[in-house]
Amino acid sequence: MTTFREYRDALAAGGSVERDLPALPTDAIRFQGERAGLVSRAVAAFIDVLIIFAVVLGTIAVFWMLSFIINPANPADIGSIEAASTQQRRIPEVITMIVYGYVLNVLYWTVFWAISGRTIGNLIMGLRVVDRKGRSPGWIVSFLRAVFCTGFPIGLVWSAVSHKNKSVQDVVLRTSVIYDWVVGIPWLRSDLEPLADAETRSTTT
Amino acid sequence: MEEDGFSGSVVGNPAGHEVILIARPAAPSPPDAVEALREILTSSIGLATYTATTIMSLVEQTVASAVNATVGAAMDRAVPLVADAILQRLDLTDLVLDRVDLRRVVESTLDEIDLTSLVLQRVDIDAIVGAADIDAVIDRVPIVAIADYVIDEIDLPQIIRDSTSGVAGEALDSVRRQGVGADVMLSGFIDRIIRRRERSLDAPGTPESLLARGGDEGLVDDEGVTP
Repeated sequence: MTTFREYRDALAAGGSVERDLPALPTDAIRFQGERAGLVSRAVAAFIDVLIIFAVVLGTIAVFWMLSFIINPANPADIGSIEAASTQQRRIPEVITMIVYGYVLNVLYWTVFWAISGRTIGNLIMGLRVVDRKGRSPGWIVSFLRAVFCTGFPIGLVWSAVSHKNKSVQDVVLRTSVIYDWVVGIPWLRSDLEPLADAETRSTTT
Repeated sequence: MEEDGFSGSVVGNPAGHEVILIARPAAPSPPDAVEALREILTSSIGLATYTATTIMSLVEQTVASAVNATVGAAMDRAVPLVADAILQRLDLTDLVLDRVDLRRVVESTLDEIDLTSLVLQRVDIDAIVGAADIDAVIDRVPIVAIADYVIDEIDLPQIIRDSTSGVAGEALDSVRRQGVGADVMLSGFIDRIIRRRERSLDAPGTPESLLARGGDEGLVDDEGVTP
């Protein structure tokens, strides 16, 4: 506990008073830190997949528009068979875009889980991925988990049955998904030193 | 008939019933020398007695005052010397401690006086407070605990949240709440099917949402062991 003298001395030495706005409704405090169930996690994952899908669609749109710069359409070809085949080539193959979506999803989950334990879907649903010590998972664990979740999404269903609300991925990688309602962008908050320490540890290991 | 130096006779006529009263001076009795001498002697003795008594009284008063003055002066000079000599041979403090019931004396004194009013009248409390080290007093007061208590009592976070969060924040909370509710409902449903009593949902570590509230209880790993 900081005594009044220390507090006053710190202020006299040029310190400033920092106050966190409360991020929690009072009724939500009791279940903070508990392992989340299937519904919240599925909704969060669905939001993430939607985001990736939107990014893939955006990529296709960008490719399609760029194709007109690289290979402008001839107004005389409109309606012709060659023109149709040309249009077909203006966007990437479907299989390519699927692979691209999977890779993007793995990258997205890896980066976000390693940095903060939260993806955008997690942030919206108030969830956070932690390792077996309650810290944000490191890059390796995040990458393995992202690959596992992307390649075997049905593993999430096990969290509805598991005694600890753990999915197959959580059981294998010893991670957990907890309720952690934070409003804002946690990894930009300088006052969360334990989080910064956790990141340092995870990056050095 | 003779009375008060006058003498008279009543001449009466039995037939006429007239009464004549004749007054004539009575003849003075001859002086008695013995009686006079006796009176003179008596008066002389009284006068002599009175004079002697007065002289004796005057002498007595004079002598007494002279003796008093002499003895008083002697006492004034002798008593301090004697008292000093006695006090030098005595330890008054020990004497008082041994012989005096100090508790009774103090208690009866305190019963007699109103200490509070005495202090209020005679003591400059402002000066005492001004000289006191208030910082030291405040350092001993658990201000943070008091502030936490007050904040908890009035639920300040909720007040701030209610007054600052917008519609989007409330919508976000609502979505999250519904998610939590759906989780609980689904897990309860499945637990009933497989006849399981309760889930173990406590995860290791402290959520960031509670860190800002000072809820850092330290990191505990998945097996409940503090690293």
